[in-house]
Amino acid sequence: MDHAQREKLSELVEELTTSGEPKLNQDKMKEVKKICKVSNDYIEHVYHLIMMQLAQEHAEIRLSALQITDELFSRSHLFRTLLVSNLQEFLELTVETDAEQPLPPPQEVARKLKTLAIHTIQAWQDAYGQAYKKLALGYHFLKQVKKVDFNDIHARTQAERRRLEEKQKRLERIYKDKVTKAIQEMEEAIPDIEECLTEVENCIQLLTPHPGDFNLGSLEPTAASPSPASMPPGHHKEPLVSTVDDERPCCSKDLEDKGAEELKEVTKKEEEESSEEESEMEEVPEQDAFIRNTGLMSRTYSLALDISTDVSVKETEDNEAVVNAMRDLHCLISTKHLPAVQSWVKLFTKAGGNEVLLRRALDLKKGLVKALQKHKELHIEYRRRERRVVKAGTCDVEEEDDDDDFEEVPEKEGLELHIPDHLRAEYGLEPASASTSSLKLAKPVPAPQPLPLPKRCSYAEEQDPTCAAATLLVLKQKLASASPASTSGGCVEPKDKEEHSQDKAKAPVIPFGIDLYYWGQEQPTAGKMIRFSSQHQFWVPHEVEEEVENKELSAQMKSRYITFAGNFEPITHECRAPMPNGTLCKRQDRVKCPFHGVIIPRDDMGNPTNPDDAARLEKERMKLQEDQPDWRDPELMREIEAATGEDLGSSKTFGKGKNGSKGKGKKYSNLTDLKQSTNTARSRLERKVFNKSAMRRVTEAMKRVDRRKHEKFANQFNYALN
Amino acid sequence: MLGFLSARQTGLDDPLRLRRAESTRRVLSFELNSDREVDRIHGNGINTLDIEVIDGRYMLSGGADGVIVIYDLENSSRKPQYTCKALCTVGRSSRYVHRFSVETVQWYPRDTGMFVSSSFDKTMKVWDTETLKPAEVFQFQGNVYCHHMSPIARKHSLIAVGTEDPKVQLCDLKSGGRSHILQGHRGEILSVRWSPRHEHILATASADSRVRLWDVRKASGSLFTLDQHNREKSKASSEAVNTAHNGRVNGLRFTPDGLHLLSTGTDDRMRLWNSATGANTLVNYGKVENDSRKGLQVAVSQGCSAEFAFVPCGSSVAVYALHTGERVTTLRGHYNNVNCCVFHPDYQELYSGGKDCNILAWVPSPRCPDIEDEERGAAAQEGAGQPAANRAFEDAWSSDEG
Repeated sequence: MDHAQREKLSELVEELTTSGEPKLNQDKMKEVKKICKVSNDYIEHVYHLIMMQLAQEHAEIRLSALQITDELFSRSHLFRTLLVSNLQEFLELTVETDAEQPLPPPQEVARKLKTLAIHTIQAWQDAYGQAYKKLALGYHFLKQVKKVDFNDIHARTQAERRRLEEKQKRLERIYKDKVTKAIQEMEEAIPDIEECLTEVENCIQLLTPHPGDFNLGSLEPTAASPSPASMPPGHHKEPLVSTVDDERPCCSKDLEDKGAEELKEVTKKEEEESSEEESEMEEVPEQDAFIRNTGLMSRTYSLALDISTDVSVKETEDNEAVVNAMRDLHCLISTKHLPAVQSWVKLFTKAGGNEVLLRRALDLKKGLVKALQKHKELHIEYRRRERRVVKAGTCDVEEEDDDDDFEEVPEKEGLELHIPDHLRAEYGLEPASASTSSLKLAKPVPAPQPLPLPKRCSYAEEQDPTCAAATLLVLKQKLASASPASTSGGCVEPKDKEEHSQDKAKAPVIPFGIDLYYWGQEQPTAGKMIRFSSQHQFWVPHEVEEEVENKELSAQMKSRYITFAGNFEPITHECRAPMPNGTLCKRQDRVKCPFHGVIIPRDDMGNPTNPDDAARLEKERMKLQEDQPDWRDPELMREIEAATGEDLGSSKTFGKGKNGSKGKGKKYSNLTDLKQSTNTARSRLERKVFNKSAMRRVTEAMKRVDRRKHEKFANQFNYALN
Repeated sequence: MLGFLSARQTGLDDPLRLRRAESTRRVLSFELNSDREVDRIHGNGINTLDIEVIDGRYMLSGGADGVIVIYDLENSSRKPQYTCKALCTVGRSSRYVHRFSVETVQWYPRDTGMFVSSSFDKTMKVWDTETLKPAEVFQFQGNVYCHHMSPIARKHSLIAVGTEDPKVQLCDLKSGGRSHILQGHRGEILSVRWSPRHEHILATASADSRVRLWDVRKASGSLFTLDQHNREKSKASSEAVNTAHNGRVNGLRFTPDGLHLLSTGTDDRMRLWNSATGANTLVNYGKVENDSRKGLQVAVSQGCSAEFAFVPCGSSVAVYALHTGERVTTLRGHYNNVNCCVFHPDYQELYSGGKDCNILAWVPSPRCPDIEDEERGAAAQEGAGQPAANRAFEDAWSSDEG
């Protein structure tokens, strides 16, 4: 017997048994068999190795060892003889025949080991029971003494298998139905979608004419007036405009679909009148771009605006029809087509086998997403008056970058983070009224403001309205509200007064009470009780405090309990945050959902309707999963991978967390760590309940209860004594 | 073997020598063989076995569920394979069945028409084999652990009964009454044995760790008590004086010639005593695992050149050379504790019964066929039903693993 081979055999067996996997590594097993085939000595050696591994106190090791045993048992006579001669021990270690030697943890693997062992014994008995008497004896022992019902296992497994098959079939049938339905739907919807896509394309084309459609000459005058506050008008150089436009063709897209000449005229006029009509002029961002490129920008300007990618289209009378169509299309895509296509993709990946359809659906999805993206890039500014209607229900794509850049609004009192739907219109208008004159430049305000409401202030949405800090902030701002209120327009003050009078009217009438009677007076005797010394003939308590102050009583004189008299308003809104299973969160919390944070208005898909919310959520998510792309959820990605066989990199981003934590520096890192403290609900509770401070708290509370009893019965002498 | 045969032919040797040599060889080659099986009747552990001595054909077994079964051991089929059939059973359906575990069964030494069984239901029953009805029932105060009839007695027909009560009771089959009470023990009587040499000599083993020898004609008390230290240390430790073991003594067995007495105790020791003097022969058997709370049935071979003792030892049967104390081999086949074993002196076979409901037959492994036999047998095997078994013994390495 070759020593090296022997060593190798030992190594192989150890590796195989400590792999911790439910199935054996076939290559290594093959090698073991190859070595064993050479000589009986190796078989003896391997038998001893296996028995050693079987005796290990770890179910995973035993399971693997059992699998090796099974492999070798069917091959070598010597191995069979050896094993059968020691079948008692084998059964003890695998089938748990000795009640005093339970199978080692982990539990589920041990259960698996036991069933597998029983199956194996059954198989051996069927094949070799005739030849090896002890095997037959062992089998009968299990069957009759240990009452292991082999037939039942058989029957049960068969029944299980049948059930599984049936389930599989049913699932398949359901999927099939779904797929055919989806195909039909798809067939019907594809023309619509394609039409929709082309329409979108056309709209975009209309809204943003291709740079090639312009001749440079006509473009030049469009470079409009610089910002009046910062820029002397004389600095404007027209030739530069053309160069800029040449360099960045996308800048030309910034054009509004207004009549070009009209605009030109207007802007030229504005150049001269520079300081007037600020708001009108701000509509045209390419002026900013121009100014920036000429290097004549003032420092009051924020540089964060990236003009090269920002395209802004504003709705006017001229392009109204197109923009309306665009908006309708956008809504159609985001509410109808895209969800439908997404559901198809999901369905096809789940059902499998429909590669062509899957690809087609994915293409469609890509097209739709692209269209949405383009639409977003356009930054269409819808008209205000319509927008109020639009904003409440549907998807509004106001560019929030603009807001971020320019909305340096002083904080207002009455901070309200949760904005009910019926107030959203007001909210939308708020920044314009609040902004100071210097910042007004940036704000596009095309329409006159209807009733500015300074109280509605969108501020720091990250702050939790349910926590104390937010309340404090509100209070602070209330105190400080005087100054901003004075600056922010005349209509505020009367409003406040009005509110005050309203408050008065609303103030409840409180019944007269003892506290009001003694209002503002000091009461030396309040709550003092005089205890008489005992009248008993013999027994006299040793130290009698004549006057006892009862805190409760004295408090009663000074304070008043007011029961909450408000009406309970049932909550009608739901959280509606999208859940992993595709539904929307049904929780009805007043302000904050414990799972999804502050409740914000959401559309039918669970997407926040308010762009600010969307941005915040986005930021949070980004923080959460740094490099993980959010455009597809991991499960879907994995499914697509499984379906198409292409590696999209899901394992790289998502598989990391699981493997990393497993025992470092351990000898066999693949095995389940038995010493690992179990993180069960029970253990967590135990940690909570039995920690020191909690125990102390409980004992204190108990003591207090005890003491109270003494106080209660203080007039009884046996309690009064101690 | 051939040497023995030629010596026998030429008349040089005593006929006994050949017989003994062959017996010894057979005993040493005991194995669990598919040739011999015993019907599985018992649904519970087997406590006791007994083979009748008249023609060595029938075996009694008593189970923990009160069932008594009679097996036919004789193989008249002229084939090596044989399954010992259960001839008749006192099953749970019988109205005479013992209600609790049967602890001891024994054939009447002179006739197979009668056997005696004792049980934890506090009775001892004398059965008529033909009708399977008890001819006589003895009631006792406590559980009956054991009973024994003298195999050689001609002048008396007494059954010694060991019960929970420290008094050994002697029941007379002739009168159906209890003739004697032997007082002396302080614990339960776990084993009683009549000497095969002197019909009035009785050995009893008790939970008080003593073994006493009695002459039943002598009413005053026991003849002597076996002392593990041969009375040398008696002064040093008054506690251990006159004790045979340091724990319960639960197995007793005279050698077939009656010269020696074997005892086992829960101190995991086995001792061999000179039955005439009561001296400890100080044979060292090593550790004999023994944690039974009841009686244990030990077997001793008969007719071998060096006698062997078969001792239940956990889930196996240990085979010891009786006089040297050497553990010859261990017969492993039971899957639970072995309670009893019995040696068949004529065929050199051992039957063992255990808690796993099995009665296992340990038979001598067949001789390897000689060269001539093999050639002859090979031709015969072609058509015979052997290959099925043989295929199981072959290796089955698949070629792709090479």
